[in-house]
Amino acid sequence: MSEHNHNTKSNDPAPAFTPALRKQIEGFLTRYETKRSAILPALHAIQDELGWIADEHVEILDKEFGLHRVQVREALTFYSAYRQKKPRQFNIQFCNNIVCCMLGANDVIGKIKGHIKKFEEKGKESPFSVEGVPCMCVCDGAPAMLVNKDRHLNVTKENIDSILEKYASLKSGV
Amino acid sequence: MGDTLTKVKITTAFEGKPNARALKTYVDNGGYAGLKKAFTMQPGQIIDEVKAAGLRGRGGAGFPTGMKWSFVPKDDKGPKYIICNNDESEPGTFKDRYIVECNPHMILEGMIIAGFAIGANKGYIYTRYDFFEEIKWLETAIREAYDAGFLGDNILGTGFKFDIDHYAGAGAYICGEETGLLSSLEGKKGQPKLKPPFPAISGYLHRPTIVNNTETLAAVPWIINHGAAAHKTMGTEKSPGTKLFCLSGRVKRPGVYELPLGYPIEKLINEDAGGMLPGYTIKACIPGGSSAPILTAEELKGLTLDYEAITAKGSMLGSGAIMIIDDSMSMVELLKVTVDFYHHESCGQCTPCREGTGWLANIMTGIMAGEGKKEDLQRMFEISRNMEGKTICALSDAAAMPTKSIVTKFGAEIADFIERGKRA
Ligand SMILES: Cc1cc2nc3c(=O)[nH]c(=O)nc-3n(C[C@H](O)[C@H](O)[C@H](O)COP(=O)(O)O)c2cc1C
Ligand code: SF4
Ligand code: FES
Repeated sequence: MSEHNHNTKSNDPAPAFTPALRKQIEGFLTRYETKRSAILPALHAIQDELGWIADEHVEILDKEFGLHRVQVREALTFYSAYRQKKPRQFNIQFCNNIVCCMLGANDVIGKIKGHIKKFEEKGKESPFSVEGVPCMCVCDGAPAMLVNKDRHLNVTKENIDSILEKYASLKSGV
Repeated sequence: MGDTLTKVKITTAFEGKPNARALKTYVDNGGYAGLKKAFTMQPGQIIDEVKAAGLRGRGGAGFPTGMKWSFVPKDDKGPKYIICNNDESEPGTFKDRYIVECNPHMILEGMIIAGFAIGANKGYIYTRYDFFEEIKWLETAIREAYDAGFLGDNILGTGFKFDIDHYAGAGAYICGEETGLLSSLEGKKGQPKLKPPFPAISGYLHRPTIVNNTETLAAVPWIINHGAAAHKTMGTEKSPGTKLFCLSGRVKRPGVYELPLGYPIEKLINEDAGGMLPGYTIKACIPGGSSAPILTAEELKGLTLDYEAITAKGSMLGSGAIMIIDDSMSMVELLKVTVDFYHHESCGQCTPCREGTGWLANIMTGIMAGEGKKEDLQRMFEISRNMEGKTICALSDAAAMPTKSIVTKFGAEIADFIERGKRA
């Protein structure tokens, strides 16, 4: 069912809205036929800009932008795109639907998990997180994954290490 | 009966062209000529032409497009909308994405023509949010079209006004269902609405709305440009034109193939796609996206790719996704992935769908864990039967149909797994 609870809330402090973000959200308020249609784009903008959506952000949308908190929450909890806790630097969405599964997605996911575990065993936090997601509709390039917004095709047990290494070496600002 | 073998590129006409997505490339190669021609016609004539062309919706159901357009009340002078359903999320499908990659202007042109035909002045393209790059391409195309006067208040000096905006989904398969999409576009959770009323009468914000799949809209400019008769020279009597087929699995050349409807599936697999990778054989095929009943390798013999032929085999052409399942894939795993997907994506409004997909997922989890029972196959069949035809939208049926077909056609393999699982 689509009430996605996998993103349990976090205790991280909520990053503040930037002026650019405010301006973007203001634009959404009048862009569509009704103000309510601004909710999805506003949540996308917050997540893009700040990484995740905190309770405080919902309150700001309500108080300062007039987007009703109940309606914002409805969208926030229904759609799986929205995160309610601070993500790792690189969030991997790995397709584990039919074609990717047939071509070995679960082995690769297993390998990524192993990689993450190695960090944890050293008492460190991995820059990566991984989750299985439904068909990404690029099945001619199965197995497929997204690392943040970058799409990778034909990801295998053989090439996953070098892909992760490349990201790990970028490991400065988000 | 048209030609079912000769390949003509319509929606993939710009495949491989340098600067394929640019407005200039489009216009230099006859782009927006269909729109210019449409402006010389009466709106009713455009609808009649699309009807006569026999264009059928490419989003899955194959509903006649011209007929759908004709349901919009003609004397209603209030706002009307054209929505391009670019939410592409049916497992196995990757054609709408490819059309955007080849040339997004074809989609815009189709929307503007559709708008002129039904008297709409506003259109939305609704795309799944994680098509990040594709969304940028669409937004660039929209800007180019405004700058060139193909969109806006007075298109090409005709006085016709049409605006297009883009809207991104947020990760929910159910928003591909047209009324779920409309709920989402209104900023709500993507729950489908009871039909009737159909969107053509009462859709976005309760106004007349046409929701068409990306591929459907992209085919419209060609039809207006070349005429219904030319369209009917391709494909079969009841399934005219070309269709994009998304071939995936262990074939040598997976990818999007634009083929006349009625093309032999074996020719696609063995000749166009070069056959299977060495060491693999075809075990089964899911011909229309994961919602379509599975076909055995045997059932592919002599099968042609048109709505009627695949329906006659007990499956459906659906979105044109053709997933080749090879002998490396366990049918237990296939069924598990399938039922988990529908369980995850059920919006939860209807009891048979919410509970049914949950029961199916639980049974499969049990089977995978070695706790399966002999009766499980029969139970899954019964649960599926009770999920059909009872719900607000077709997601429930979309979960039931493949389940029934897999437990029927590959029951022995699943039963064997259950048996071995218990002994282990
Ligand atoms: C569960 C479900 C998911 C659907 N997903 C899509 C989709 O991703 N894209 C699409 O175009 N149509 C999808 N449809 C079909 C739409 O409801 C609708 O029939 C289609 O957009 C109409 O366009 P067409 O007549 O041009 O095919 C889906 C239907 C159901 C029941
Ligand atoms: S059939 Fe399923 S997905 Fe469709 S409206 Fe009912 S509960 Fe939601
Ligand atoms: S099954 Fe993985 S992209 Fe479609």
